[in-house]
Amino acid sequence: MPVNSPPAPQPPLVLDTLDNPGLSNDECPRRARIQLDLLLLAIEALDLSGGEAMLAISRELALEGLVKGRVHLWLLRGTNPMRRYSQRRPLQVEEAKALVIIICTLARRLTVLVRQLLVGYQQLADKQLSPEHHFRLADYLSRFRSHFRARMNPRRAGVIAYSTDEKLDELAIQLLQQLLLCAGVLGPQRLWSSLFDGEVS
Amino acid sequence: MTVQRQYTLPHCNLVLEGLSADANDPLSPLAVLMNAECHLPGATDATLTGGREFLDSLVAAVSRYAQQLLSGVSSPHLGTAPPIVEIKPGEGAYHHLIVHQQPLREPLSDTNVQPPLDVKLTTVQFYDLMEAVDQLLADTQTLPDLTAQFQAVSRRLVQPTEPVVQRAAPAALGAAVLAAAGLALFFVPPPEFEPTRPGSESATPAESSTNPLETSPDPAAGEQPTEQDNSSTEPSSDPTAAADLERLKTAPAIADAATIALLQSDVTRRLQEAWADAPRPRGDLAYRMVVSEDGDILGYKYENDLALAEVDNTPLPQLTFVPVDAAEPVREQVAQFIATFTPAGEVVVEPVDAPAETTAAAAAELSTLENKITDGDRIRALNSALYDDILAELEPLSASEDLQFRVRLAETGDVVGYEPLNAAAGLLAAETPLPGLVTASDSAAPDSDRNQADFQVVFTEGGVLQVSPWDGWPQ
Repeated sequence: MPVNSPPAPQPPLVLDTLDNPGLSNDECPRRARIQLDLLLLAIEALDLSGGEAMLAISRELALEGLVKGRVHLWLLRGTNPMRRYSQRRPLQVEEAKALVIIICTLARRLTVLVRQLLVGYQQLADKQLSPEHHFRLADYLSRFRSHFRARMNPRRAGVIAYSTDEKLDELAIQLLQQLLLCAGVLGPQRLWSSLFDGEVS
Repeated sequence: MTVQRQYTLPHCNLVLEGLSADANDPLSPLAVLMNAECHLPGATDATLTGGREFLDSLVAAVSRYAQQLLSGVSSPHLGTAPPIVEIKPGEGAYHHLIVHQQPLREPLSDTNVQPPLDVKLTTVQFYDLMEAVDQLLADTQTLPDLTAQFQAVSRRLVQPTEPVVQRAAPAALGAAVLAAAGLALFFVPPPEFEPTRPGSESATPAESSTNPLETSPDPAAGEQPTEQDNSSTEPSSDPTAAADLERLKTAPAIADAATIALLQSDVTRRLQEAWADAPRPRGDLAYRMVVSEDGDILGYKYENDLALAEVDNTPLPQLTFVPVDAAEPVREQVAQFIATFTPAGEVVVEPVDAPAETTAAAAAELSTLENKITDGDRIRALNSALYDDILAELEPLSASEDLQFRVRLAETGDVVGYEPLNAAAGLLAAETPLPGLVTASDSAAPDSDRNQADFQVVFTEGGVLQVSPWDGWPQ
């Protein structure tokens, strides 16, 4: 049977594990957009080639229909209102699902490193030492700080709260812990569900 | 057949024992869970054990806490019974796993209750615990009915970031300030009302404007003021005394003889009582008094010189009623009396008729008209003349309703008298030009032989003057 148009693209099967939240519309709430971008930022600070890895995974998992290359990924991450070049476009639920899958897949690959950093941080904290004593951890923290400051709009109220190094380090460690939780078997579902805490009726 | 399933991670070892559904198939799921054990090497040496209840509670607590770590939104525990397993955030990067352990098959009582087990977990240890639970949840061959239930926290259940105390603080502060202000103002005395004198008399505040006779003698001079004092005060007090009676002249007179008799005896009794202890005068002291309907002495004036000299020995200054607003004309009905204080110590009060008549008769009730003017042209001419006369003198009235008067005119056009027809007219008659228009000579001798005519005069609330013949316009 001849058809005039190609069949409608099916959503990737990998996204089926994530249930649609009970949102009133198809756009992600503000906190979810911030959280997804910050987790990606932490991955970039952990892995120098993190940006490339994100694109590679989207190709591997057949998510190219939702994350169409580098610029589109940048546009998606730009929906974070804290960004310097914040995009006014909304983040669709399907796009957010793709970002969740990318984050959790990368987090699983980085599990060993994340565990090492967290164990090291815990030991330093127990001895009342600053994170600078752990070379790899200090590296991660400084890279996260520079990424954050380069990309976030310092005049935003949400960014002003992280004006000091200490506050930014706290945020980086918190994101590291969250990345570890995302690395588990049920990480994607848990992260996805947590994005809408307090947003659903 | 007993089956054991084990989920092992570096910091957590979760072991489940139960009966398999199918004895021949080693991979068949557990039909009954007998025991669940959780070892946390590195965190605690104790082994957390329990049945299905313990396992369910552990799964729920771990799932909820992990989601809380990811979102930062704490979800409240739903359900009535306290959970067996709780996880709470601790200081720094630590987490507290709290297990309320109870020995199996022993009823809960005061003697065997155990303190809850508190295990301090690092984030990595918690992750291993979570991962073990997640693997159990994802494993369809152990407990298929136990599956992951992810549900975002509802907006209704989100606890506000500010605690109740902090949110209630502004309201409490406001209430406290209000209470304090109320308490402070409670001790402030209410302001005392001081009536202000009208502008013309405020220039001489020391002199009481109402009754200058009682204030003009120097109080320091004692009970027997000298003749010199009196002569010096006389000139200054005279004009004001005249003004005093002027004020009272406009007041309507009491016409009822019984009321006057009652007032007479009442005033006599009060003066006699008040004068009992005073020194006796050398001669008769005669005063003219104006007494209101309720017996208040509104004003008085000496009738002979001795009376002026001895005024402080009489009770009149004490008994005189001082009005709030002296400039305001007296509107209540008054009666005039002559009070005579005799050297024998008696007080004689007699009503004054002649002078009061002159002021009161004009406004008194008009008798039935016998000789009416019948000439229509004359009535019209009188009507227009009266209208012009009143209008020439008319000033804005303070009336809030129409003032109706019946005005009687002689044939010559002189106003013989007037009579208020409604209550407002009686009160505000002094504001109208009518009292000034009355010709006194005619009222003194009511001449029934001369032709007169009645007219209705209405001062409307809006300030319009209406004059019409009492019996209607002539044909």
